[in-house]
Amino acid sequence: MRQLGDELTREYEGRTPLLVAPLKASLVFVTDLSRALAVAHELDFLELAAYDAAGPGIRLLKDLDAEIEGRHVLIVEDVVDTGLSLNYLCKTLRLRGPESLAVVTLLDRPYRRLVENLPIVHVGFTVPDELFVGYGFDLDERYRNLPDLHVLK
Amino acid sequence: MPAETWNFQAYRGSQPPTFANQAEVACARVLDYYGIPWEYEPRTFVLEEEHGRIVEAFTPDFYLPEQDLYVEITVMKQSLVTRKNRKLRKLRERYPDVNVKLFYKRDISRLAERYRLDLAS
Repeated sequence: MRQLGDELTREYEGRTPLLVAPLKASLVFVTDLSRALAVAHELDFLELAAYDAAGPGIRLLKDLDAEIEGRHVLIVEDVVDTGLSLNYLCKTLRLRGPESLAVVTLLDRPYRRLVENLPIVHVGFTVPDELFVGYGFDLDERYRNLPDLHVLK
Repeated sequence: MPAETWNFQAYRGSQPPTFANQAEVACARVLDYYGIPWEYEPRTFVLEEEHGRIVEAFTPDFYLPEQDLYVEITVMKQSLVTRKNRKLRKLRERYPDVNVKLFYKRDISRLAERYRLDLAS
């Protein structure tokens, strides 16, 4: 976390980025990252609808409170695998005219990527094909509170 | 499996897709949900010819035009995918500019868990 914080501090020096965290799994990561970031920044949250085959398509359940036009936006993701939801998020936020848009993700599964052209600038860990719980990751809303990441067997 | 009658929004083919199994249907629905344009089996790649006759070919299940990516879904057990892996290797050798990704049964299972898909056939 310190390493990520240092890298992002250097990158955003002199700017005031807006850290955008999609709820809920990235909540713990974004709070830790925020404390590791030595530049002034703001936090905001949004929530995407969970996949529903019969639903009308992906949409925001909760939108950002902040306006992002002209802002430096850093999306803080818990995990990126296919990139489908992140792709939607990036497309949606780009329409609002941010000065810059980048992504930091705690976990990455690049071998499952279906959408490649995503602005992922920092990856915490590239992980194998395992299910994780703890540190914000859940299994049917359980285990989010575990302080560390655990592989679910 | 009959032609899928689901009203796909992001499908870019001209004929209704005829999926081979429920995993393909589920993947098509996921792509559609996220608004990723997709086609179903739009191209067959010739892998081997003898005297002008095609003896081996490969037709990936999906093509994502915005990503310029072909996606092959296999629901075979990991131990039985050797032949498919070999075909994929041949395709990459013969068509080095073609991007293709193989999703194994375990990948589909993981996606099913994540997206709570019903893959019952």
